[in-house]
Amino acid sequence: MLDILSRHRTLSLLAGVVLAQMLLLAFQIKREHDVRLIRYWAAELVTPGERAATWSLSKTGSVWSGYIALHRARVENERLRAELDRLRIHNRELETQAGEGQRLRALLGLRDAHAEAPMLAAQVIGASADSSSHTLFINRGERDHVRRNMAVITPDGIVGKIVEVLANNTSQVLLLSDKDSGVGALFADTRTHGVLRGTGDPELHLEYVVNDEPVHPGEIILTSGDDRIFPKGLVIGTVTDAAPGNPFQVIHVRPAARLDRLEDVLILLSQHELVPQQAEESSDTGEANPATPGIVPPLPASPKTEPAASTGATLVGPKPTAKPAVRTSSATGQAASTPKPPATIRTPSTPSPAPKTPAPAAQPAPQQ
Amino acid sequence: MLNTGAQSDSQIEVHKYYAGAVILVCFLALLLQAFLHKFGHFAELLDLPLLVTFYFGMSRRKPVSGLFLGAAVGILQDALSHGSPIGLYGIAKTLVGYVGSSIGGRIDTEHPVSRLVLVFLCFHFHQAVLATTERLLLNRAAPYFTLHLLLASLVTAAFAVVLFALLDRLRKPL
Repeated sequence: MLDILSRHRTLSLLAGVVLAQMLLLAFQIKREHDVRLIRYWAAELVTPGERAATWSLSKTGSVWSGYIALHRARVENERLRAELDRLRIHNRELETQAGEGQRLRALLGLRDAHAEAPMLAAQVIGASADSSSHTLFINRGERDHVRRNMAVITPDGIVGKIVEVLANNTSQVLLLSDKDSGVGALFADTRTHGVLRGTGDPELHLEYVVNDEPVHPGEIILTSGDDRIFPKGLVIGTVTDAAPGNPFQVIHVRPAARLDRLEDVLILLSQHELVPQQAEESSDTGEANPATPGIVPPLPASPKTEPAASTGATLVGPKPTAKPAVRTSSATGQAASTPKPPATIRTPSTPSPAPKTPAPAAQPAPQQ
Repeated sequence: MLNTGAQSDSQIEVHKYYAGAVILVCFLALLLQAFLHKFGHFAELLDLPLLVTFYFGMSRRKPVSGLFLGAAVGILQDALSHGSPIGLYGIAKTLVGYVGSSIGGRIDTEHPVSRLVLVFLCFHFHQAVLATTERLLLNRAAPYFTLHLLLASLVTAAFAVVLFALLDRLRKPL
């Protein structure tokens, strides 16, 4: 540098003198906001360097914190992952508890709503090892006075019945979907009777409904009480499909209870009828009571029938369990001398078909 | 220092002046420039400090002396003018002094025609530097070329032929 300056001494001197005078000018001249030009120049001279230094420092810091100093981040990451796993497990436990609480609350609600009917809550503890057999094991048994053919229900609908009491605290439940299962059923709207059979599939078949009977998808199917196991009026499911058959219609029913996801159930210790809450008001209006899940109140009496002889009377107030078949038969217009014992429901080979004639509500009720 | 004669090149003459002549002439040029402004606008056509700067730079043919002489004359001219920041004419006169001494060392500057042309060119070079400086540093829209400047350059160049002949008399004999 000095060599260049000495070699071009005159030019360097010229540049120096001109530069000095320019600085002198810059010191005198004021620009906007009364700022001297030399200050502008100084800022222009210094700020790029400052900017570059700041940028370099920032990038260096980023590289340091983003790449070099990551050993802490890895440790922290591992710790957070462990924390996340622990919280996930805890969250799952809480969700399980919340779900259990909801189920138990629904069971309790059903039980409180029907204090007149003795019920027993039970937990599902196992299922059948045979895929063709749709059965469950529950944690109630002989010690809890559980007996064969007792109904097992949930707030959504009926589940099945006790087929075996295996021990003091274990019983086996035959689900509705089992091939050996059968339930006396009726349509909630038309009161047409039939027999619901398990098929081994998720859907059930409603049999013995004549082709002339109009059946539509979405219709609700209730227990008829004909089987002397399930009290009358409990929800079984809804019709998904109906087609004419020979000699009866082929009707598919989807169970209201989630039979594949059962955890808590109620055992009905008697066939005491479940009277919906505020049954008297509901029977007047014919509306289902939402406070009583799984139970559908009867329709209002048809103008053609006497009110007391119709289905409304059969649901109001508890009735003795010894006569459900007689009562139901009366309601459906069948002869009282042809009751359907529970055994006929259990065994598909000996069904009690109870083929339904249309317009049963028009039949008088001799029980009254 | 300004009166010290320089070593002559092999073919170019380097003129020396009597002691104090350069300083005195420069001082008189500045004085007259300020004085003549009182008597009318015709004085604006002449730039006496420019002429003496160019003359002494060209005659003495020493760039260092020329640029310092130009800087001194220009700064004094700035100091005497109103509203002009110190250094505006200084930069222009510095470059004129340097360019004049550089030219004087290369070509013959004794002939009146060459002096006329050189002063004409020097005037516009001076104006170009002045306008550039004003535009860049002062944010003023100074013109590079106008008819008035052309007339002034012609008058100054013609006056320079006479003035330079008079100043030649201040040289020491070789």
